[in-house]
Amino acid sequence: MITFDAVSLIYPNSTKTVLENLSLTIDEGEFVLVIGPTGSGKSSLLRLINGLVPHHTGGILAGNISVDGISTQLVKPGGLAHLIGIVGQNPVNGFVTDTVEEELAFGMESLNIAPDVMRKRVEEILDLMSLAPLRDRSLATLSGGEQQRVAIGSALVMHPKVLVLDEPTSALDPIAAEEVLSILHRLVHDLGLTVIVAEHRLERVIQFADRIVHIDGLGNARVGTPAQIMSDSDIAPPIVHLARALGLEDVGLTVRDMRRMSEQIRGGSYSHSIEKLVISNETVIEISDLSLSFESQSVLNDINIKICAGEVIALMGRNGAGKSSLLKTIVGLHKATSGTVSVLGNNPLTISGSKRRETIGFIPQEPSDLLYGQSVIMECQQADVDNEIEEGTTFELLSELVPGISPQTHPRDLSEGQRLALALSVVLSAKPKVLILDEPTRGLDYQAKSHLISTLLHYARVLGRTVILATHDVELVAELATRVIFLADGDCVADGKTLDVLLSSPAFAPQVAKVMSPQPWLTVKDVINALQVNQ
Amino acid sequence: MTDTRHPLTWWIWSIALAIAIARGDNPWLAIAVVGCAYLVVRTFRSDAPWSRSFESGLKLGLWILIIRTSFGVLIGTPIPGTTIFRLPIIPLPEWMAGIRIGGAVTQERLFSTAHEGVILASIIILFSAASSLTSPHRLLRVLPFAIYQFGLALVIATSLVPQFVRSISRIKDAQYLRGQKLSFKKVLIPLLEESLARSLDLAAAMDSRGYGSTRVRSRYRSISWNPGDSLIVAAGALPLISPSLILLSVVTPFLLIKRRVVVPIS
Repeated sequence: MITFDAVSLIYPNSTKTVLENLSLTIDEGEFVLVIGPTGSGKSSLLRLINGLVPHHTGGILAGNISVDGISTQLVKPGGLAHLIGIVGQNPVNGFVTDTVEEELAFGMESLNIAPDVMRKRVEEILDLMSLAPLRDRSLATLSGGEQQRVAIGSALVMHPKVLVLDEPTSALDPIAAEEVLSILHRLVHDLGLTVIVAEHRLERVIQFADRIVHIDGLGNARVGTPAQIMSDSDIAPPIVHLARALGLEDVGLTVRDMRRMSEQIRGGSYSHSIEKLVISNETVIEISDLSLSFESQSVLNDINIKICAGEVIALMGRNGAGKSSLLKTIVGLHKATSGTVSVLGNNPLTISGSKRRETIGFIPQEPSDLLYGQSVIMECQQADVDNEIEEGTTFELLSELVPGISPQTHPRDLSEGQRLALALSVVLSAKPKVLILDEPTRGLDYQAKSHLISTLLHYARVLGRTVILATHDVELVAELATRVIFLADGDCVADGKTLDVLLSSPAFAPQVAKVMSPQPWLTVKDVINALQVNQ
Repeated sequence: MTDTRHPLTWWIWSIALAIAIARGDNPWLAIAVVGCAYLVVRTFRSDAPWSRSFESGLKLGLWILIIRTSFGVLIGTPIPGTTIFRLPIIPLPEWMAGIRIGGAVTQERLFSTAHEGVILASIIILFSAASSLTSPHRLLRVLPFAIYQFGLALVIATSLVPQFVRSISRIKDAQYLRGQKLSFKKVLIPLLEESLARSLDLAAAMDSRGYGSTRVRSRYRSISWNPGDSLIVAAGALPLISPSLILLSVVTPFLLIKRRVVVPIS
């Protein structure tokens, strides 16, 4: 279906080849997963398939790519619209119309398909993607998962033979992600659609993949079955790390396989010495009877939370459950409709300037919102000046987080993980008592994530500061959080120790916990510790 | 969708009214028309992002009025009449004879510049009324293929503007939380970067969905012209016959209000 024949790609004004001499063939009806560190060229590889690279981006392409016998060199992306559906990283950015139905019809209108055919196909897709109840809704009012389904639907409605998706689940909560992926799985099996997906969160997709393309960022690529690639890949989901740590012969890729393989280990009886975390009882944040509503629509109802120094709190819940609103109320962007929030005795609405920097550090969903300097070093110097600390301190902090960033780089040219690290070091240079992060792992690879985890753990455990993060990433929560607060529709429905909250809900349980259930282990480290203690 | 009018209807209506205001040259009438147009917008607009553009148009109009009036008072040829107050005259070189900065501000001069300002502002506000009543995406569909590139730019611009406003407030918030004093530059740089990235994304998405790859586009929902549209357009054209009918043309659209059926949510 898709053939890459000795493809090399280099962007203008760049000395780094994105791909070098890549040859691969993807057959009809295959589910192919593209993995690699951030900035390694996964998106470029996907966009090569329908010719957006280089037709839209520029760049020098050597070799040939053909899809269903058509060479992308000869045809523009529009000419392949009937053959390839492509869904970008952020589907909202690609919406052209106002309502679900119109969005589905847009591509067909462009191809001048007859109205009666369009009507039929739109109905088909509305059913296939379970969008029928939403047909007249305005796109802006849909949740993340629904938007993703509309984007996939509007690609499928053209009856393409190939569907290309760039990080389809990175913005979704675990349940919405599951929904989207199972639809893709069904399409592959029922319609013989060829699906190519790039994704960082392997734990979500790996069980669906027929083959994996692993790009290393230096231009090299490896292609193989999931079992082959996972046997020695540095990018691997927790389940594979578990298999490696337990010294199993095969790596299991699904929870089911792993449960079969680990029956003996799981079956044993273990004394659970739960490591006691020392958390001071110094209250840092106190939220009492907090309610928040926008234009008579209530967003948060009667929230009561007390947060102490040294705690790492994970705020979880569906898209639109009120996580970001709660964070924004804590940092002082929203004024509570009723109730109070106090951070170290201050009303967060009234503090500003250096006092704010020293009290609350906030990393927004888009870390680049904080940055405006022309280079990394300018950004760091600005933070040094702001916080009246010795020159170079911030940059030193950054080099500890991610070594090897050139000080002259423009922040825009950094990878997702590097940009987060820069924003983090700018914020941390003020040594805030409370650090708040909104969806910090979106678009981060495993390596960047583990850097983030160790930084935040150090900050909370060693320096005794408080960290609050809103996230969909259960694996991150399992590694990092001491306590989980679960929001649903603006209510606080669960608030307790990470172990208790995560184990009580199968959808939000991390992979290791699913494999090792009923043993109360959340991470690979937990398993190993428990096994060592009981040897 | 509540938006059932033909996308051109409100544009024709507001252009006709704008012409009438310009011809009628009566500031009080212009203000009355803008007031009625506001009521029309309040009644007929949906909750879509562009429906807020009336408010931005109103602000823009007021700015133009203020700036125009102050310039009109400061610079220009003197009009004799009752003096309100005097400003110092700034001496100008001889070749600029006939232009004066400062001097006596007469009632007549103030009124005449304010008068022109009101007419100009009203016309702008009327255009923003049309754009807040019409979906730019539907408007794009009735425009001919010949202006395809223009249409592409229009869609990108109209879907970006609401994004733009949201991004500005998001970036401002973030900078405030960083404890920074707000400055133009600190907001502008991240904003420009993001908008550029977004518009490239949108252009890529439209391109890969085949936009503009065929000369003829089919229509999923035909956009039809209803009696209601004719009524509004006819009403808009009334003052072209006689300027005194202008208020009638602003009130007519209210005839189209349908009784909303409220379905109880079970």
